[in-house]
Amino acid sequence: MATVLSTAAPGQQPPTAAPPGRRPPSTERVVRANRATPFSYATLIIVSAVLCVPLVFVVSIALSSDQTVNANTFTILPREWHWENFTRVFSTDLPMQRFLLNSVIISVGAVIGQMLSSGLVGYAFARLRAPGKNVLFIIVLATMMIPAQITMIPQFILFKELGWVNTFLPLIVPNFFSNAFNVFLVRQFVSRLPSEIDEAAMVDGLGFFGIYRRIMLPMLAPVLIAIGIFTLTATWGDFMGPLIYLNDESKMPLALGVQYITSTSQALQAPPWNLVMVGSILLTLPMILVYYLGQRYLYEMDISGGSAGVK
Amino acid sequence: MSRLRRREAIWFYLFASPWIIGFVVFLLGPMIASIYISLTDWDSFTAPKWVGLDNYTRLLTEDPVFWKALWNTFYYAAVSVPLGLVIGLWLANLLNKGVRFRKLFRTLIYLPTLVPLVATAMIFKMVLAPSGPLNGALGVFGIPGPSWLLEAMWVKPALILLSVWGAGAATVLLLAAMKGIPRELYEAAEVDGAGPVRQFWSITIPQLTPIIFFNLIMGLIGAFQVFSQVYILTKGGPDNASQMMVPLLFNEAFSFYHMGYASAISWLLFAVILVFTLVAFRTARRWVFYETEVK
Repeated sequence: MATVLSTAAPGQQPPTAAPPGRRPPSTERVVRANRATPFSYATLIIVSAVLCVPLVFVVSIALSSDQTVNANTFTILPREWHWENFTRVFSTDLPMQRFLLNSVIISVGAVIGQMLSSGLVGYAFARLRAPGKNVLFIIVLATMMIPAQITMIPQFILFKELGWVNTFLPLIVPNFFSNAFNVFLVRQFVSRLPSEIDEAAMVDGLGFFGIYRRIMLPMLAPVLIAIGIFTLTATWGDFMGPLIYLNDESKMPLALGVQYITSTSQALQAPPWNLVMVGSILLTLPMILVYYLGQRYLYEMDISGGSAGVK
Repeated sequence: MSRLRRREAIWFYLFASPWIIGFVVFLLGPMIASIYISLTDWDSFTAPKWVGLDNYTRLLTEDPVFWKALWNTFYYAAVSVPLGLVIGLWLANLLNKGVRFRKLFRTLIYLPTLVPLVATAMIFKMVLAPSGPLNGALGVFGIPGPSWLLEAMWVKPALILLSVWGAGAATVLLLAAMKGIPRELYEAAEVDGAGPVRQFWSITIPQLTPIIFFNLIMGLIGAFQVFSQVYILTKGGPDNASQMMVPLLFNEAFSFYHMGYASAISWLLFAVILVFTLVAFRTARRWVFYETEVK
């Protein structure tokens, strides 16, 4: 290793560097190995196209009439434009608006829970001193390794005993107790903030809760927003949780509801694929929107959290 | 301990209490309960019956479906995770060349990973239908496509295909990591006469090994827990050809109410994940390169 590193010691001026006096090479200037060839463009275009074809089909099917879908004659580029499919899903006997509302309630509850609790716990692990803290932190890290399936059955029994089955509570309440990954993210984030800030606040007479609320919370915004995005993405798309806990059609979130439509249509009758695809689009669009709006926070966490972000 | 120190400790436990309570109520308690349940025969309605290690011995010696599910899960994890990483590496390397419209390409490649799994499953149900778009495309080249999800031989490749559709996640992470590799390394290599291929293998790959390793571990853990796509698309069929650990566990628990048996499966799943993670860490010393490490 040492020999490899020494040949690459920084400060060594390669002859390809710009002569003095000219503007320094921009970051876009690339070494020969990293120059794009027509071949790389061709590959990228083909790969992007192949990856996006299914999505184009989704849009095309969502815009097709029932007849076209049943006859399986839809094409990759839509030939008919049945925009009314997007309003039909809200007026047929499919309770799509109910699904959507349920998804929003569960996700918002989960996001609020994680943002409230993870900030507090993460701050405590980063800044406050207490006997037993290091042991607890090791436990935090260790719990990340335990697959959720281990606790799935006893948790189900617990929530059944509480009478919470077929309510949103099992899907929302556990989020108010934070989770190891989010605690870890906040702790890492707070550790990088200068401790003079809270020391000064303490000298000024603020208590620990005051420091957290007035000083820390505003500074934690980026990491809390990132946690909000992770939680939203996980809850919005969660399938197994609702599948275990929710039985009534009127309680189902969109992720379960869309699947439910395809599995319950009568035996010989094909599911209404155009409406299913409309449902899939409704399920996907918020994720694209959230990613677009929150991109910079995720990117920030990505770098600081040691790549532990973006699903 | 001074008064101030004690006050600080009290506040720590107050602030950390959500996690501590959550840990005890939703993790530690259930874990202990799960060990107990796995040693009983229990339908969750009547009193549990103690059977000792019977569930485990039945799983490991008498249940062919369990072994099939274990093998299928291995197969799925061992192919889909490395394949996704190799494709991610390949695409990231292409994007890292000074291509124009890089942001556009990156967005298009990343887009599939934003689609929630349930919607992805719906999309692949349509794409993989016997007379669906994929077989239509194969037909153009004169290849008769199989009935992917309905054939024992093709159902696992079909599920792997679905997972590879999300290779954009690895691409974006690896691309960000590639941007962080010091340019001097490449420039020095170029002076020494190393071509693009040599530079890729001798600089890019070694520099990326820590993040490749991280993604490999996280990917394997995730792949062993695959559930939704199997449950939605195949229900484990045909003939258990796509039965995997978690769908099997789910069925035992919530379709047949074999809570003890299902809990035993969950502990075996944990054991498998643990062994794989440990093996990965063991071998990591040989191929993961940390710049700051002093050897």
